[in-house]
Formats: sequence, structure tokens, C-alpha cells
Amino acid sequence: MNTMDVSQNPDNNYRKFALPVDSEHKATEFRLFSIATPHMRAFHLSWISFFACFVSTFAAPPLLPIIRDNLNLTATDIGNAGIAAVSGAVFARVAMGTACDLFGPRLASSSLILLTAPAVFFSAIANSPSAFLMVRFFTGFSLATFVSTQFWMSSMFSPNVVGTANGLSGGWGNLGGGATQLIMPLVYSLIHNNIGSTKFTAWRIAFFIPAIFQALSAYAIFFLGQDMPDGNYVRLENSGEKHKDSFTQVFYHAITNYRGWILALTYGYCFGVELTIDNIIAQYFYDRFNVNLHTAGIIAASFGLANLFSRPGGGILSDVVAKRYGMRGRLWTLWVVQMIGGLLCLLLGKIGSLSGSVAVMLVFSVFVQAACGLTFGVVPFVSRRSLGVISGMTGGGGNVGAVLTQVIFFRGSRYSTEEGISLMGVMIMCCTLVILFIYFPQWGGLFCGPKKGVTEEDYYLAEWTAAEKEQGFHKMSIKFSENSRRERGKIGASVPIQSDKDTPPTIV
Amino acid sequence: MEVPTGFMVVCLLLSCFVATSYGVYFSSLNETLIVTATHTKNQVLKAGEEKITVTWRFNKTYKAGTDSAYKTVKVKLCYAPISQKDRSWRKTEDRLKKDKTCPHKIVARPYTASNNSFTWTIERDIPTGVYFVRAYALDAQEQEVAYGQSTDAKKSTNLFEVQAITGRHASLDIASVCFSAFSIVSLAGFFYMEKRKGKAAQQK
Repeated sequence: MNTMDVSQNPDNNYRKFALPVDSEHKATEFRLFSIATPHMRAFHLSWISFFACFVSTFAAPPLLPIIRDNLNLTATDIGNAGIAAVSGAVFARVAMGTACDLFGPRLASSSLILLTAPAVFFSAIANSPSAFLMVRFFTGFSLATFVSTQFWMSSMFSPNVVGTANGLSGGWGNLGGGATQLIMPLVYSLIHNNIGSTKFTAWRIAFFIPAIFQALSAYAIFFLGQDMPDGNYVRLENSGEKHKDSFTQVFYHAITNYRGWILALTYGYCFGVELTIDNIIAQYFYDRFNVNLHTAGIIAASFGLANLFSRPGGGILSDVVAKRYGMRGRLWTLWVVQMIGGLLCLLLGKIGSLSGSVAVMLVFSVFVQAACGLTFGVVPFVSRRSLGVISGMTGGGGNVGAVLTQVIFFRGSRYSTEEGISLMGVMIMCCTLVILFIYFPQWGGLFCGPKKGVTEEDYYLAEWTAAEKEQGFHKMSIKFSENSRRERGKIGASVPIQSDKDTPPTIV
Repeated sequence: MEVPTGFMVVCLLLSCFVATSYGVYFSSLNETLIVTATHTKNQVLKAGEEKITVTWRFNKTYKAGTDSAYKTVKVKLCYAPISQKDRSWRKTEDRLKKDKTCPHKIVARPYTASNNSFTWTIERDIPTGVYFVRAYALDAQEQEVAYGQSTDAKKSTNLFEVQAITGRHASLDIASVCFSAFSIVSLAGFFYMEKRKGKAAQQK
């Protein structure tokens, strides 16, 4: 079946999509080289804009040798600015999740990107350590576009490819953190050497490049993107096709779902660790192995550039495993991969040779980034009504992990950098253990199988009150429940679907 | 009479060889040069505008012939301890190859025992900080064999302050503000357009 005809409702135009879709009009296939509206176009818009935000947020580290002389920064100033850059997004990500649920990812992300672009422009005129800290803090808010990216992909792609879509958009966005270590020095040297500006002016001009790129991506999202396969929130809400949800209800159902909190914690120890490494790894190689700053920058870049395939790989792996083993497969794979990541981190701090360290770092980057992709193979299923806030909590948890690890292990001289890295590995392994406690009654958890007789509808419709169901607000959750039946895996698919709850799961 | 001088020359050459194999250590150098840096006292020198005059000469209290191996003199601008605090990228190390105390080159000249003077305009990429001047005497293999500095051994006297350029220009300030304002205004425009689209859908 190539297209779904929604001809039950005569007011709906017959819609033909370029990709095969499910009953929610989400694409069931992922075609990387297509830019067809709305699905693949949304994918390309989201990863490019997220990439731009990452480039801006980590634009300062590669130019620090010049900035620290211009602004007379101390090592403490630099450390604090690094922490500030990732701490702003902790709450911004939760706020973004809420905004996506209420206003749609298109408006939410283009607004945030345009609101943070001034911080990048003002970086060019920063004149003191405190100004530097402020611009890094506010620029870091833009990392909340991660949440809109994942939300948008979860709205456009069906459960069987949602891990792939989330992994690719998240991974290619994170790529910006590595690419910027190569882009900014290049732009700087073009301005300093070819145009002839002095060092202390050239880095300032260089910052206009990521700032303009970021602003342009926001315009592209606004004019070329759309929230859902059927249209934008504002049009769908005003024509009655989509119900405008209540903030308190959405927020309540997110924070009372313990699985959101567990994933927030574990994401702090894959993505948070990735952000911390982005901030400290160049200095680590420079100081411990005496490579020059240029080489240290290339090594640092390669850590972030592994995101090209490792995070998407995690997402794809999640979907592949789910085909046979369902949600339990997704959870097991996440647990195993993140544990191995922790082990490799422990090992990284212990290796004393340069080539050994680089090799371990590269393998470590693959595992830790794949764990990020695997996490967002699970997140879309935690809640349907509060998908945005759950995504935001998980994303925010990632940044909390980055702040915590930098404050505990990489500030001051309590631990040497290599000691800090090894201890961080131990903390990763300890915090990953909580995945054992995630349990979906309709699908099971790591060690327990599903509860007999519990269906996907029971789980997702529990988020709506009887009064809301009466008014038909829960329709999207019904469709989602049907489409997520695949998460039972091949073993569970043969079990007959018995629901002893009131409303039969049919669409009228 | 010739034996001691010949012996000394051999010793010097041998010590140079040894030094090249392991890298030169600052603690192995003798302070045989007298270096002065003149500037107006108690004034903060502006980078790119103000000058310092550096002079250096051989300290005659050392034996004649000590400076026979000196071929060139490299004069450098060095950070005082207060400007190195909490900044590990300016750390002092005894091994000169790893030492980051004196990264800024002032001038390099062939060695002469006296009458050396150079007036230097502080370059525009010199950062804000407290400095002194050090001159290294190098031999034919470009290895440091002696030094002199404008401050005492504790690096606490005769220091001078430099104020860096900001690197900012009025055009940059204006561009930043304009681009930022444009971003915010266009965002407001987006919201307005969305509201209009919403009203149109409602009327359908």
C-alpha cells in the first residue's frame, strides 16, 4: 500500500505522500537522499539547523589560544565558560520539549535559533572574562534544538524507522561539535592571513560565520518546514483536526513517568560525557602527550566527527534489534553498548601511549555516541501525549551529566585529567545500571516479560482522562498504539490482542 | 698559558654537545649578559603604540673569552609570575624546549660584546600582562648558552605592564547590533505571519 486514504472524513483532501506512510501519515521508510516534503525535508532541515547550533556553541574552544590572550582569561575563566556553555541548555531543553508539544517543532526551533543568534553575534564584541562567560552561556541555549529535532523526527517517522531518523538527525547535528574544531581555525586563518586583520580582530570577524549560518537555518525551517505530515499545528488546530493540548496536563504526564527520569540520568552518561570530552580532550592530548595545538585540535575533531556514523548506527541498531526482539531488544542493546562505553572510558585514562590513546578514544567515541542513538530509540515510546517534554527531560539530563562530570572531575587540580577520565568511566558504568529498572507493562523490561493482557492502548490511553476521551482528544494516541504494536518483536506478535478496557481501539 | 684557554674552549664545545643531546636547561645557563629595558615607569604601555628600548652587553666581571661561543643574541618579551598564575599555557619549565615563559620575539642580532640597543614598538598581538625582557645568547648550533634579563632572579623588580588592543572596531560593533536586531525583528515577523495563517484556516 503506497498511500493512505483518509476518505472517512470528507473535509480532508486526498493526500499523496512521496514515501509510504502509516495511519498517522508518518513515513515507514527512510530515504536519505530525498528532500521530498514533508518527511525527508523535515529531516534535512532539522539536522542542518542542529549542526549550525553545535558549530556556534563550540566555536570558541578551537580559537581559545587567541581569545584567552585577547580577553586576558585564566584557566578558571575558561573552565567556567565551558561549564556555562552546556548548563544553559539543561532547562532550555525541557522548555523546548514543552514548546514542541504546545506550538510545534517548526516554530519552537526557529524561534530558539533566532533568539540565540544574537549571543553569537555579540561574541564578536566580547571584551572581558565575564562577557565571554555570558555569550557562551546564552549561545549554549541553542543546543535545545536537539529536542525539537528528535520531536520532529518522532512526529514524521513511524516507529519502525524512528530510531534511524532520530539517530541520523541527532548524530549529524552533533557532528557540528567536531566540524567546528576544523571550520573555525580555517575561517580565522583566512581572515588573519589572507585579509590581513590582526589576530585580535580576526577571531571576532570569524564568529560572524557561524552566527549567520545559524540565522539562515532558522529562516529555512520557518519557510520550508512543516510540523506534522498533515500540516502545521496552527492550521490543524484552528481547523479542528488537532486538539490544542493543555500545558499542565502535558507536563504532569511527563514528570510522573519514571522512565523519563531514568533515561534522563542515563543520557547524562552518554551524551553528557560526549560534551565533556568535546571540551577537554584537545588539552588532554596537548598536555599529556606533547602534541602541538594543531594536532590536538585534529584529534579532538575526530572524536566529534565519529558522530557521522556512530550515533546513527546506534539508532539503526535499535530499529534492527526491535524487529526481532521488540522493546526488550532496544533496552538490552542500550545497556550493553553504554556499559562497554564506560569500560572504554576507564581504559582511556589508563593508557600511556599516544597511538594507544587515540585508538581507544576512537572506539570509545563510537560506543558512547551509539548509546546516544540507542537512547532515542526508546524515548519516543515512553509517552505519546508528552513526547516533547520527555524528549526535553532526557536531553536536559544529558547536559546535567556534562555539567556534573566537568565540575566533579575536570575543574581545579583535584584529579589529573587522566584520573578524571578513568573515574568518569566508572561513573558511567554505575549510572547505566538503572536501565534495569525500566519496565513497559505491554512489552516488558530487561529481565521481566510483558504483563499478560496489557496492551499498547492501555499504556498510552492512560494519559488521557475519561472526559478528554469523550471529546475525542486522544485519537493520535490510539493511532500510535496501533503503530507501536511492532515493539512486541517477532515473539510477541503472535499473542492475541485482548483489551478489557472500555473503549474498543477503532477509528471512527 | 695556552693550555687553560684551549681546555676551556674544549669544555665549552663539549658542554654544547651534551646540551644538544638532552636539550638545554635554563638552570645550566649563566647570566653573563646585562640587559636593561627602559620605559616610562608607572605607566601602562599600550600595545601597538608605545615603545621600549632594550640594551644588552657582556658582563665584564666574567672571564674574557667566556663569550667566544656566542654567535647571535635573541631578545624576548617574557611573562612575569603574576601573568603566569592560573595560566598553564605560560608555564615556566627548566627545559628550554618546553618553556613557555618567553614566547614573544623582540629582535635577533649577531653578537657583539657592547653597544647593543634596540627600540621596539610593542606589537599589536601582545596580550595584556606584566612583563620583563630576557636575552639569550646562542652559539653556532642555535643552542642557548647564556642569558641576561632586565629583572632579578625572582622576577619581581623592574617589571612593566602592557595593555593589549581590544581588537574591536566600531564597524564590528555596529554589524553585531544590526544583525542581532534583524534576527529578533524577523522572529516577530514570523509570529505575525503564523497568526494570520491561523486566522485564515479558521475561516475556512
